Amino acid sequence: MTGAAMPIIEGRGLTRSFAMPAGAVTALGDVSIRVEPQDYVAITGPSGCGKSTLLHILGCVDRPSAGSLEFEGRDVRGLTEAERSRIRLTRIGFVFQRFFLLPMLTAWENIELPQSEAGATKAARHARTRELLDYVGLAERSDHRPSQLSGGEMQRVAIARALANRPALLLADEPTGELDEETGAQIAGLFDRVHADGTAIVVVTHNPAVAARAGRHLAMKSGRVVTS
Amino acid sequence: MTAWGLAWRTIARSPARSVLAVVGVTVIGALLFDMLLLSRGLLVSFRDLLEAQDFDIRVVAAEGSMVHRPPIANATSLAEAIARLPQVRRVTLLRTESAQAIVPGGDHLRIALVGTTSAAAGSVWTMTSGASLPTVTAAGAPPPLVISTRLASELQLEPGSELQLRLFRPGTASALPLVAARVIGVAQFTFEAADEYTVATTMEGFAAAAGTRDSTVAEMVLVSSQKGAGAAAAAAIARLRPDVRALSNEQVMEQFNENAFSYFRQISTVLSSMTLAFAFLLIATLLTMSVNQRLGEVAALRALGFPRRRIAANLLWESVLLVGVGGVAALPVGGLLALALDRILRQMPGVPERLHFFVFEPRTVVLHAVLLSVTGALAAVYPIWLATSLPIAATLRREILS
Repeated sequence: MTGAAMPIIEGRGLTRSFAMPAGAVTALGDVSIRVEPQDYVAITGPSGCGKSTLLHILGCVDRPSAGSLEFEGRDVRGLTEAERSRIRLTRIGFVFQRFFLLPMLTAWENIELPQSEAGATKAARHARTRELLDYVGLAERSDHRPSQLSGGEMQRVAIARALANRPALLLADEPTGELDEETGAQIAGLFDRVHADGTAIVVVTHNPAVAARAGRHLAMKSGRVVTS
Repeated sequence: MTAWGLAWRTIARSPARSVLAVVGVTVIGALLFDMLLLSRGLLVSFRDLLEAQDFDIRVVAAEGSMVHRPPIANATSLAEAIARLPQVRRVTLLRTESAQAIVPGGDHLRIALVGTTSAAAGSVWTMTSGASLPTVTAAGAPPPLVISTRLASELQLEPGSELQLRLFRPGTASALPLVAARVIGVAQFTFEAADEYTVATTMEGFAAAAGTRDSTVAEMVLVSSQKGAGAAAAAAIARLRPDVRALSNEQVMEQFNENAFSYFRQISTVLSSMTLAFAFLLIATLLTMSVNQRLGEVAALRALGFPRRRIAANLLWESVLLVGVGGVAALPVGGLLALALDRILRQMPGVPERLHFFVFEPRTVVLHAVLLSVTGALAAVYPIWLATSLPIAATLRREILS
């Protein structure tokens, strides 16, 4: 059998409208996107142009009002909420602008939590968590809580958490938005390593330095992709 | 990490709020526990009192209420007829009246005078010193008295002391003569109230104090049936005389349960419902506040792939922990509160000293646990709905913008 490899995710004609008192607002209009394994895609554009909306649809946390979406060949629209949760847990990693680490858990526990939910054994969790803490350079801070970490360290823990279940796709929404330039550059460097190690990345960013590291760029405006 | 573990860490994250919640549940749980104890306590205690006596059938006049019944005429002949029944082991007569006890040249007190036969000893009272009532009173001898320990202590009486009695009868008290009597024994009376002094004498002694020679009248005939023959004995007694009723302990309990005790049960039901409503509101409010404060975290967990049931389980465990810890702490607090309330209620006039309003039963602890568990689970329903139904993308967006 020949032909291209199956994309991780492929959306066609994705549209997302929100009902508002003054009438429906279209946040995303007829956007098509295909993310292959080994892709590193940066989505840029002004605030409110639909970048995060597209990312949420690609991450199966939101449903398009119209269009089709396939994740690893499965039609996401036909999946139950539990099936979509399972995809998010095992095949997609999320990195948020505000980290959203659980403040009562240590860095180790935050990274271990998704593995525990996915059903990994204790030994496997232990090995993977140690590996990831080394990977993001925080092995010495494993028993620190988020409140004891800097912004850059928290984002590195969040990236380790996103990678915990070895996802095929890492989605990041303004991952350097809360960080200074130098720390942002460190996080961008970490994304480079993650990508080099075989994980596809889609990152929404205002940071030109982060966007410049991506292999593909999507520029958006008013809910549409204007350059690709 | 299990849902239980995560719930525990979440609760420990806000120690002040969690302590407040636990203290709130403890106080409410203690009140609930006391209401549950009260709902059956009087009944259980009264049954224990009845069953502690050697008599299992009470024969009273058929007319009147349980509390106000006319005396039984020719009670002596009725008692003799009952005693002849094969199902009956022992019979005694009982009469009561208010009276004044006067120490010659000394103090005087209002007392409850009980006229009975010696057969009542050992069940209606327990001797502590001296002798019990004689079977036969010698002609011309002063009426023999068995007095309560409290009266003996109050008037400094002992076996051999002299005491004068005068019965109170509406409209006739001033006409009744003082009767000189002699204390022959001191005893503890089962049904003596905290504000009462009880004195027992023979039926002849009671008649003398009442200024009559008729000692055949009684208000109640107490009957001990042969083992296992209670119902047959009661039926046989009812056939002897149509103007009397023979009530078993169960029937007495039923009558009190339907009348006097029902008030306590209704009050405790209303107050129990109120305390459960407060517990529900407290837990639901605290959990809802907690969820509202961490909507971003919940949305992030959902985005990371944590299913709704896991979020729900976390919240349910949080509720269980708060209610569980508070509910367990409520038991000793409620127990101590019940002791204090019981002491206060037992000071009420006319309440037998050995009667308790709050009585511990294992089933009360079980019921307490079940009610609090159900309340905790119900209180978690709204916060769970809030957390599991939130739109993930919109919540994440809102959290970033805020």
